[in-house]
Amino acid sequence: MASDLLSIALSGAKAARIALDVTAQNIANAGTSGYVRRSARTMEVSSSGGYGRTSDISLSGVRVDRVVRNVDLFRQAEVRRTSADSARAGAEVSNLENIEAAVEQSRVFPALVEFDGALQRLAGDPSDPSLRAGVLEAARTMAGTFNIAANGLAGVASGVNFEATAEVAEVNTLATELARVNLRLARAADASSDQSTLLDQRDSLLQQISQYGDVAAAFSSDGTVEVRLGGNAGPLLVQGGSATAVIMSTAADDTISFAVGSSAVSLAGGSLAGKALSLVKLVQVRSDLDSLANTLMATVNTAQGAGAALNGSVGQPLFTGSGAGGMALVFSDGAGLATAPSGSLAGSRDPGNLDAMRAALASADPTGALDALIFDISATVSSRKVTQGALQAIAGNALIALEAQAGVDLDQEAVNLMRFQQAFQASGKAMQVASTIFDTLLGIR
Amino acid sequence: MTIVSTSTSAFYDRSVMGMQDLRAQAETLQSSLASGQRLSRSSDDPVAAARMRQLTREDSFSAIDTVNAQRATTDLQLTDGALSSFAGYVTRVKELALQAATGTLTAAQRAGIGTEISAFRQNLMALANSRDAAGHALFGGETAATAYTSDGAGNAVYGGTATAGELSLGEGRSVARGLTGPEFLNFSVGSNPTDLMAVIKTLGDALLTGAPDPQTAAHDSLDALDTSLDKITTAQTVVGSRLAWIELTTERRIEQSEMRADEEAQVGGTDIAATVAQLQQTMIVLEASQASFAKLAGLSLFNLLR
Repeated sequence: MASDLLSIALSGAKAARIALDVTAQNIANAGTSGYVRRSARTMEVSSSGGYGRTSDISLSGVRVDRVVRNVDLFRQAEVRRTSADSARAGAEVSNLENIEAAVEQSRVFPALVEFDGALQRLAGDPSDPSLRAGVLEAARTMAGTFNIAANGLAGVASGVNFEATAEVAEVNTLATELARVNLRLARAADASSDQSTLLDQRDSLLQQISQYGDVAAAFSSDGTVEVRLGGNAGPLLVQGGSATAVIMSTAADDTISFAVGSSAVSLAGGSLAGKALSLVKLVQVRSDLDSLANTLMATVNTAQGAGAALNGSVGQPLFTGSGAGGMALVFSDGAGLATAPSGSLAGSRDPGNLDAMRAALASADPTGALDALIFDISATVSSRKVTQGALQAIAGNALIALEAQAGVDLDQEAVNLMRFQQAFQASGKAMQVASTIFDTLLGIR
Repeated sequence: MTIVSTSTSAFYDRSVMGMQDLRAQAETLQSSLASGQRLSRSSDDPVAAARMRQLTREDSFSAIDTVNAQRATTDLQLTDGALSSFAGYVTRVKELALQAATGTLTAAQRAGIGTEISAFRQNLMALANSRDAAGHALFGGETAATAYTSDGAGNAVYGGTATAGELSLGEGRSVARGLTGPEFLNFSVGSNPTDLMAVIKTLGDALLTGAPDPQTAAHDSLDALDTSLDKITTAQTVVGSRLAWIELTTERRIEQSEMRADEEAQVGGTDIAATVAQLQQTMIVLEASQASFAKLAGLSLFNLLR
């Protein structure tokens, strides 16, 4: 019996050692992202007695059954879903803010008002060369700010495209990595620490992919995962050991679309979805700004043609080019402004055509249209920000819920450290007792 | 069993998130205090930003209206001054015409008066060709050249446009910026249209040359001069009422710009008292959260279990 006691104590000491190792591993990885707290699950080892003596007491100690990963699949899925939504809203808001800044900080609105004002000032004395020069310079500034706004929007478009390309490449890298993890998981022994590490990697990769696009994951019993991009009905991104590449295509108007292999996919979450959405808005803003610039140029040019310049000649168009990006001045001499009605003598102070031009501008109202455009963008940004705030809070809570459940709590580990140390010491004591018993038996003479 | 409800990393993450959030709030409040503007970009409050754009637009137009009103005021004051001079000359010519109409004068004396009247005529021509503040013909309407020129016979010929043109004073109000020469120099005697220059020339020529009968000519001119004086003083009244109109619109513009400034401060300005109080509150919460974080983070079982 004493040798049984010794082996029972040995198995207890071994189990306590493993539990201490697991605790130390937890403490070491307290700050590692994606690490899930492990705990050692022990099982009693017992056997029946020999033939005919089944009811005898037969104790064989303890063994470590498996290292448990304390993970909740539902909470993980929630983290993936909510962080995809939050990433989509984040990408959309940040790009919309860039669009807003491109239009607003180009100061195109003040420049347009300034042009209007310069025309109004010119009405005070239409033949004054300095007032005419003032109108010309205001027109030049306005054309410049329109160009800046158009360039800014083009910059936003190319920046978003560049980022999206990089993110698609990142998704493909992650998907390939996940396929490799799948292969290794299929071969890893059940409940080994190797498998635990691979499962951590798998979950972490899934979470990273869901930052870029919404994924649907299906787990098999051996821990491998099948990933679909764009929700449950989407095409397969990772299946077993193979990953299909995500392809991004950019349309002529800079909007982007995605496909996995040859099947198109529409993303509902993730930063790629946010980027695609913001590009759609960008296209609208650009076309609005262009049509506004075209209206402005056409109105002024038509009015110019209906009047006479300072030297009495027929007025020439003031603007050339098309769209906000192409707006440019035709002439740079203020004398070319056709303020007088057609057929007036040289040097006429009659503001008839200037009044007509201002009336035409007032009815075409490019200033009002620009104001509405800026309002449209800023209201969109503002409302998306509210959505983003809500989604961020939801994603943050889901992450904290997961961390609270799966993360390492140092206080608990400190207690475990003590508990298993004591268990180890107690097993040692049991060995000592066994030795004493054995000595007692040997001591019988 | 878990000792506390959350993991160590969740505790640190949550604390950091909370403090970052408070810090960002405090910085936003600070920047709105520093700039005096509540809105740093349109999306902070789209409706208020749109209103601010409208208000600044009206502000800049109002500034231009002010300049135009000053321009019109200057022109009208110059017109008023010139009209006074016209009235003075006409009164003087009338006195001379009265003298010349008496039968006791010799032909030589009448010729002397005629010389004086001819000199006045030159002055009146110069006065009618006065320039406004911008150097344009004051009484020429919108012409680029001079208002009156002399033809071969020495008659004054009006070369300007029919009207003086209107100047916008904002909000759809406008004012005629001056008078054209014919508006106060042309009149009818009986049913014959004539003008002051022609009357004085006829009178001067008659007195100088003695033909037709200078005494009758002087007598006849008195009626015309009276009518002319009436016409000039009427024009002065018109100019005076236009100046009053400009003043009225200016007052209204100032009132409106005060209202706009008020609204701008309300819509886009920082409410200093409220913002400072809010900042103070945020900072106290931030300090409390920092202090409690330091305390909680120092609370580890590892320090106690030995």
